[in-house]
Amino acid sequence: MDFSFTEEQKNKRQEFFKVCAELAKDRMRGFEGFESSYDTDEGWKYHLYCAKEFARRGWLSLAWPEEYGGSGNMMDRVLFAEARGYHGVPGVDVFGVQMLAPTILACGSEEIKREFLPKIATGEIQFCELWSEPNAGSDLASLTTTAIKQGNEYVINGQKIWTTGAHRAHWSFGVYKDDLGGKPHHNMVFLLFDMKTPGVTIRPIKYIHNMHIYNEVFLDNVRVPAKVVGQEHEGWAVVNTLAAFERSNIDDIMRMQRDIEHVVAYCNTTKQDGVPLARNPVIRNRLAKIAGEVEAARMLAYRVADLQNRGELTLMEAGAVKIFESELLERFASLMTDVLGPYGQVKMSRWSPMDGWWERIYQEHFVQSISMGTNEIQRNLIAWRGLELPRMK
Amino acid sequence: MDLRFTEEQEMLKTSAKDFLVAECPKSKVRELEEDKIGHSPELWKKMAELGWMGLIIPEQYQGMGMTFQDGMALIEEVGRNLLPEPFISTLVASFAILAAGSESQKQEFLPKISRGEIKVSLAYLEENGKYDVSGITIKAAPRGEDFILNGTKMFVEMAHIADYLVCAARTGDSAKPEDGITLFIIDAKSPGITTEIIPTIASDKLCEVKFDNVQIPKNNVLGEVNKGYQALKDALRKAAIVKSVESVGSMQACIDMTVAYMKERVQYGRPIGAFQALQHLIADAWIATQTARYLVYEAVWKESSGLPCDKEASMAKAYTNEAYKFVSKWGIRLHGGIGTSREHDMSLYYRRAKAADCAYGGTDFHNEIVARELGFQK
Repeated sequence: MDFSFTEEQKNKRQEFFKVCAELAKDRMRGFEGFESSYDTDEGWKYHLYCAKEFARRGWLSLAWPEEYGGSGNMMDRVLFAEARGYHGVPGVDVFGVQMLAPTILACGSEEIKREFLPKIATGEIQFCELWSEPNAGSDLASLTTTAIKQGNEYVINGQKIWTTGAHRAHWSFGVYKDDLGGKPHHNMVFLLFDMKTPGVTIRPIKYIHNMHIYNEVFLDNVRVPAKVVGQEHEGWAVVNTLAAFERSNIDDIMRMQRDIEHVVAYCNTTKQDGVPLARNPVIRNRLAKIAGEVEAARMLAYRVADLQNRGELTLMEAGAVKIFESELLERFASLMTDVLGPYGQVKMSRWSPMDGWWERIYQEHFVQSISMGTNEIQRNLIAWRGLELPRMK
Repeated sequence: MDLRFTEEQEMLKTSAKDFLVAECPKSKVRELEEDKIGHSPELWKKMAELGWMGLIIPEQYQGMGMTFQDGMALIEEVGRNLLPEPFISTLVASFAILAAGSESQKQEFLPKISRGEIKVSLAYLEENGKYDVSGITIKAAPRGEDFILNGTKMFVEMAHIADYLVCAARTGDSAKPEDGITLFIIDAKSPGITTEIIPTIASDKLCEVKFDNVQIPKNNVLGEVNKGYQALKDALRKAAIVKSVESVGSMQACIDMTVAYMKERVQYGRPIGAFQALQHLIADAWIATQTARYLVYEAVWKESSGLPCDKEASMAKAYTNEAYKFVSKWGIRLHGGIGTSREHDMSLYYRRAKAADCAYGGTDFHNEIVARELGFQK
């Protein structure tokens, strides 16, 4: 086994880190990562600015076939994600770039590819994912929002929820029932449409820490052209394809790696009773443990990337890194809010240590463990698909 | 980046697995555990014929000259199957000889190790039970052409059948605990040495070794007098990695055994593996195994490539210590009553998980190394 990067990869990695470090200089205080892009106008502007900077370097289409404007390979995507995570810069649309584009490449028609891939690659359109519904969360296939075909159009009726970035995105991809009498799992369509279409109503839901990240989306006789990915009635197969493109989580892991560095520096320079926190054996011990876990997460993400590179990635392996990373983030935040004592509860302000970062992450970690297939569903998949344990009917 | 074993390593793993299943079935493991001596000369001889003891000893010393990483492919299978022989202790001692020994010492000892003619063990822990270097207190005093060693070493693996001991002792006084340590290679049959087996959770024949005015010729100093720390540290770092690899193999065995049982054991009219409460537990045990595996492989790769890896080795050992205990605990819990019986194989793993934790540094000890390496001020 060989964990090393090639010379070429090292050079590219350095370039990714250099550009991200530059972009990070323009970041506003307390602004960090992809989620906070959605919260404020400033954040969204910064996200689009970063997207443009990446797009002109061809970095939004890494690992695509050359004929669609792509370059590089899967490993480049991992190296790029490391740099973004470490420096906490947005600019990559999780939904359009990371989920939809590879799905279109795998099961989109030539027409869909030609229409959407270039716009994703330039960052011109940003996507949101119309997925969960009030009564269809983990059991997504039980969704009830309908898209009924009428000529060359679909008419959509129903409600979606927990739609991250619906209030910012230009377009959406989503899944709807398109055959009311059809057999389960063969009665859905995977559709793309413009979020400005009449009949789309977006209502904010404030996240636990009061940021505006996700929304409810009401769809009332929304009439859209038939931009279908895959086949009509067979949208569920597309959903499964898309699930396989979910991330190695390396960006989130690199962010934790960076956080370890920040925390070490903070503990070395912050004194209690004249003694640096770094000398407190309990703090040393607990943070060393977390650092080891971050390293383990990073290596598991490399394992996922390595498998993905060879086209051998399984849901089991991707699920493992997702579960481990998200629960590690929760432990890390829990530990840090402990270490900071009463200051662990302070929001970003003149009183907050480390810019209130840990007060925020203490709440934001749920994004990782609940979205993209809850950790409990992921555990089921590991048991059923990976360990081949029976599935109770 | 390619995180797979090479084809040769896979072949080595397969042949090691086949050998151990045939020659060291669990009945043999248990028999050796119950046995007073706990060593099978026939098994040892067969392992030697396969070249296991010399696998990563350079060819010039009659070893097979394979890489550290190649050796770890084998160790993983040793962990999967469990092997109650002084194999790892001899391997670790060979690290110290390679790191510190003079050319003539290497010529003297390594070919014998490669051929399986001698068993060697590292004696570094003492009655104070401290894993760090300040725990080394016993003194060797120069006298003429010799050193005279007095004191007690503890938890020396299979010292009762060892031919030689590599022993760390104080030869000089210094404010810094790293200074003044000398490594000796001592004939285990020297007058003044008494050995007694300590009863342990894994019945793995750890020994108390008493040195009473033991005379050691100066020729048997490994490396320089008072400067043994670096070689000891290097050997212990490698040992921590070896032990972690062994544990990963054992953890996988626990998972395989438990998953198989969950498919076969029927309660309430269905295999217990169909219950989600249990599925989530085994999923967590599997995740612990996978995370440990790649963390450990990273350390193996760094060590094998000659890259600095104090931090990674300690992260691997600290993490694996806890992960192996966790996985083997759930292995037993998911087996229910049968898992708690002495006769069941799960019990072998559960008890060895605690023993592995104690070998070459506990979790807190290694986490302190990690903290230092991360840059926390001391």
